[in-house]
Amino acid sequence: MCSEKGLSERFDSTIGRATVEMPFGGKYQLTPAEGMVAQIPVLHGHTDAASLMTHGYNPEVACWSPFHGAMYAVTQSLVKAVALGANPDTIRLTLQEYFQGMRAKADWGLPFAALLGANTVLNSMEVPAVGGKDSMSGSFMDLHVPPTLVSFAVNVIDGRKAVSSEFKEAGDKVVFLSTPLLDGDVLDFAILRKNLRRVHQLILEGKIKAAAAVEEGGIAAGITKMTLGNALGFRFVKPFPHTESLFTLQPGGMLLEVAKDADLEALFGELDCLPLGTVTDNAEITVNDITLANAELVKAYTETLEPIFPAKAPESETPEDLLAQPLYKRELPLTAPVNIARPKVFIPVFPGQNCEYDTARAFDLAGAESKIFIIRNLTAQAIEETIQAMVKGIQESQIIMLPGGFSAGDEPDGSGKFIATMFRNPRITEAVNDLLQNRDGLMLGICNGFQALIKLGLVPYGEIRPLEENSPTLTFNTIGRHVSQMVYTRITSNKSPWLNMTEPGDVHAIAVSHGEGRFYAPADTIRELFRNGQVATQYVDLKGNPTMASPENPNGSLYAIEGITSPDGRILGKMGHSERYIPGLMENIYGEKEQHIFESGVKYFK
Amino acid sequence: MSEIRRIYVEKKDAFAVEAKGLLADLKNNLLMDGLEKVRVLARYDVMGLTDEEFSQALQLVLSEPPVDTVMEELVPAADEKVFAVELLPGQYDQREDFAAQCIQLITQKEKPLVAAAKVFVFKGSLTDDEFEKVKKYLVNPIEAREAALDKPETLEDTWEEPADVERMEGFLDLSEADIAAMQKNLGLAMSVEDLLWIQKYFKEEEKRVPTITEVRVLDTYWSDHCRHTTFMTNLDKVEIEPGYYTKPIEDAFKQYLAIRDKVYGKKTDRPITLMDMACIATKKLKKENKFPDNDDSEEINACSIVVPVEIDGKKEDWLVMFKNETHNHPTEIEPFGGAATCLGGAIRDPLSGRAYVYQAMRITGAGDPRTPIEKTLAGKLPQRKLTIGAAAGYSSYGNQIGLATGQVQEYYHDRFVAKRMEIGAVMGAAPKSAVIRERPAAGDIIILLGGRTGRDGIGGATGSSKEHTVDSLSTCGAEVQKGNPPTERKIQRLFRNPEVTVLIKRCNDFGAGGVSVAIGELAEGLKINLDKVTKKYAGLDGTELAISESQERMAVVIRKEDWEKFAKFADEENLEATIVAEVTEEPRLVMYWRGDKIVDISREKYKPAECVQRKRPERTV
Repeated sequence: MCSEKGLSERFDSTIGRATVEMPFGGKYQLTPAEGMVAQIPVLHGHTDAASLMTHGYNPEVACWSPFHGAMYAVTQSLVKAVALGANPDTIRLTLQEYFQGMRAKADWGLPFAALLGANTVLNSMEVPAVGGKDSMSGSFMDLHVPPTLVSFAVNVIDGRKAVSSEFKEAGDKVVFLSTPLLDGDVLDFAILRKNLRRVHQLILEGKIKAAAAVEEGGIAAGITKMTLGNALGFRFVKPFPHTESLFTLQPGGMLLEVAKDADLEALFGELDCLPLGTVTDNAEITVNDITLANAELVKAYTETLEPIFPAKAPESETPEDLLAQPLYKRELPLTAPVNIARPKVFIPVFPGQNCEYDTARAFDLAGAESKIFIIRNLTAQAIEETIQAMVKGIQESQIIMLPGGFSAGDEPDGSGKFIATMFRNPRITEAVNDLLQNRDGLMLGICNGFQALIKLGLVPYGEIRPLEENSPTLTFNTIGRHVSQMVYTRITSNKSPWLNMTEPGDVHAIAVSHGEGRFYAPADTIRELFRNGQVATQYVDLKGNPTMASPENPNGSLYAIEGITSPDGRILGKMGHSERYIPGLMENIYGEKEQHIFESGVKYFK
Repeated sequence: MSEIRRIYVEKKDAFAVEAKGLLADLKNNLLMDGLEKVRVLARYDVMGLTDEEFSQALQLVLSEPPVDTVMEELVPAADEKVFAVELLPGQYDQREDFAAQCIQLITQKEKPLVAAAKVFVFKGSLTDDEFEKVKKYLVNPIEAREAALDKPETLEDTWEEPADVERMEGFLDLSEADIAAMQKNLGLAMSVEDLLWIQKYFKEEEKRVPTITEVRVLDTYWSDHCRHTTFMTNLDKVEIEPGYYTKPIEDAFKQYLAIRDKVYGKKTDRPITLMDMACIATKKLKKENKFPDNDDSEEINACSIVVPVEIDGKKEDWLVMFKNETHNHPTEIEPFGGAATCLGGAIRDPLSGRAYVYQAMRITGAGDPRTPIEKTLAGKLPQRKLTIGAAAGYSSYGNQIGLATGQVQEYYHDRFVAKRMEIGAVMGAAPKSAVIRERPAAGDIIILLGGRTGRDGIGGATGSSKEHTVDSLSTCGAEVQKGNPPTERKIQRLFRNPEVTVLIKRCNDFGAGGVSVAIGELAEGLKINLDKVTKKYAGLDGTELAISESQERMAVVIRKEDWEKFAKFADEENLEATIVAEVTEEPRLVMYWRGDKIVDISREKYKPAECVQRKRPERTV
């Protein structure tokens, strides 16, 4: 058992502005979520309905007994789903089998036993498997894969009721809800069903503050993971007589955090609920006379896979004057000389860009009227038509938005080139200049859009110009891979109309997801940007200070710069996906998540 | 034709993340102590540009002044060793493709020809032996090869007009032994019995020799990958070995038999199969009305349930679709492409059901990736390369197509050294009102939507069902598939528009088996014109067009009169759509290529009785 954060963070987990739980929760983003929860992707309007999916699997058990492997896998997927907020009576499953080739007669016993194990749970818990898939060639010469059955559980819930697994508050009680094993190590499904229904009821009543299934590593591993997210501690009741069972597999078992004044009898009644101890605010775990510090636990948990899937980048040099750069405060917000009730936003979408839905919805919600425009380039004629349509689209708009994504798959060997090349077409350049210079328009680029802005010169220079050797740029993250996580960014300057609902020093939790987000420029250029108030936002640590440390500064950006503006602030480029948050999302992440940049952009025209 | 211009582009030292990473990797994992420095250069050969166009392309597309150094020649020093790598011909190369598309934006003419390679320069004392070791570490022969260091004569494809599809003269008279030899020679996945069956069918019913296309199409269609022979096998004798857990397993078996009685009645002749064991509990719940949200339909693209969703206070019925898919074999032999197309394929299932796929989960199994490279088994890639490459591939696809990967978990167990486990599970949803399902009728047309067809993945369906041996790495080349997520994203966008989806009667994604399966499954009677299938390059023959597994393609059935409307919507999304087939009255699968009828099989035979609904999920209940 070890942290897989370095692996997981290669994968974008926030696109679609629907992510209810981040894969890793807590201030330190270290407690793995039990599964995934996302709002249903409605195109218009708002919904709180959210789907969730969990899985269950344990190869060790599967090798030891395929029957139990499958039975525990299905059970685990159900328990995790309920821990997240699923209704145990409406969960639906899909199964994945993966076995060796069937050569000898006895080989057939492996999937046979596994399917019987799965069937036992389906039948006892009355949960249907809607589908499944089998792969029956897991052999190489005389080596064979573990007899595998992975269970996936799906449910649709009210996303506002979803529960995350990191401990929330010192003083809270934590209990272990167990499911007994009957003869032959078969679970007592009648009791499991009662337990799950009870937990679900308590979740609906808002009485469960954190929940997790007991997995490999037993209660000890579960409690540890739950403490790490918020760097809280845990004190087992003393004396704790069950130390020998702390590390054993407890299929069907759950760990639950409830309020400090909760009446366990009232909550759990006759169910087999064992009080384990108390959440504490000193970062250590104490069981009887043994105490383990959070730092030690984090180290043991995170270092195993670091050589394969690093979660931290190599150390970056910290410039001496990093903390000496001043905040920049604009006294009066910049506003357009014209009043426009619903400014129009032109959102061109190049092949490979994918944040246009999210961005358009953010603008529309803020009171703008956005227009998504698809770049067509299958033929030379389509390109010509596209250029003409883009010119027209820009002329009819007050705002150009370059959304995130991977235009051209970040090829050839660098991001944003496709967009930048298109915008350098003289007719489009002219339309952009007209918007910016004659019509007081705005431009915003997020992630891939920021890369395009910087590669055009629009930030920091405020105009499309040829790049020089010393031009600021965005390049590959120092960690050498894509990063997807939440970061804390600070408003360093509110010179931009995009930031006029913020104050310098405000800190926000923002999603990032990119492979090339490292801001780079000569130090002199950077200092000048600070002086001009063009450094809009910086990556900060939990104390709110700009930092070069990974993962707080996720890409090794110089001077921790996350976003910059044009000289007068009307063009903003930033890496962080401010559009990916609406209330109800990223519930296991702490801090202010709303930056109001879209609203600010719309207000500029009022 | 204009000359070829060659250019090398190298990241400046401050930005050389890949080169520095590789140096550390080679030192740590291949123990190349004498290595001092690694340089990685992108090499481009470009053809079809004027001087001015080329200089613009260089400034805007092929390099970036702040981060790159550009050189026209690469002259290695005495202590430097150089080699270059390129993808095998016929494999999709995203770098070449988008370089050409970007340059086309500048020229606004035809796309130029671009060939890309990666050049590695190793500085330090590296013995020839070590140099070979490094090459072996960096080049997976199944997808890439060492590229020549000299400039080629031309970048234009040289191809020959393919010969007509072979008629298998003499096949009808082959003895069983000959047939067995033929099964081996052709590398077929089907059994000798299957081939004998085909021989009998053509001899007695069609009264002609089959074409090689027909044999390949049947081989693909009948492979375990599609037909799930293992799960459908009758288990006529069940013995449970005595042991510690005999009792619970016996009890569970009795429970299964008792449920069968309830579901089928006591007098059933339904065989006991793994498939039945997997489905029985759900069948019972259905029968007892305990699965009311089941979305029953003839067209099955993924698991689908009906869910009420409240939007701005109003309730609407939605279909929530989910699907899990493995790509164990492709990922084992080429981790990046295999894992990328695992997700691409999983997405296309609910997507073909017109659901918008918004989330994915990735569950994988690997051996210990910390195992020293030299302990890698012969015929296998190192676990380290497998797991890192697969993570890179899957994430690159998901990140580009724009779906949130909400959970990633890898299980480490020594037995996964036999074969990696690569599972993608996805969530999709659509308003129920946007999904129309109708049985195709004669006269309806079938549109091929999305990517073009190449040789990629030919034999993938049958390959996954074959067992993996030491030779797999060098002989499965054509089975490798590369993903092109931006194209699939366009389909995602198109199908998110209810005005489009209400035109669709039925839809099938191109997964395993290509045209022969994706289109072949859509209706009972079909006439397919393979000449209409848009190609990535010339030179493909009829058989290849029929079974190629090129990714990012979708087959859509609509009414003939809706074609113009549909075509316009597709064009607005920058997507290619072509009519490639029509639904016919007569229940036969017919394919034409260059005017030649190369497939003409009775539907009944194409889809034999034991080949139940292959459409995912295989366990329809």
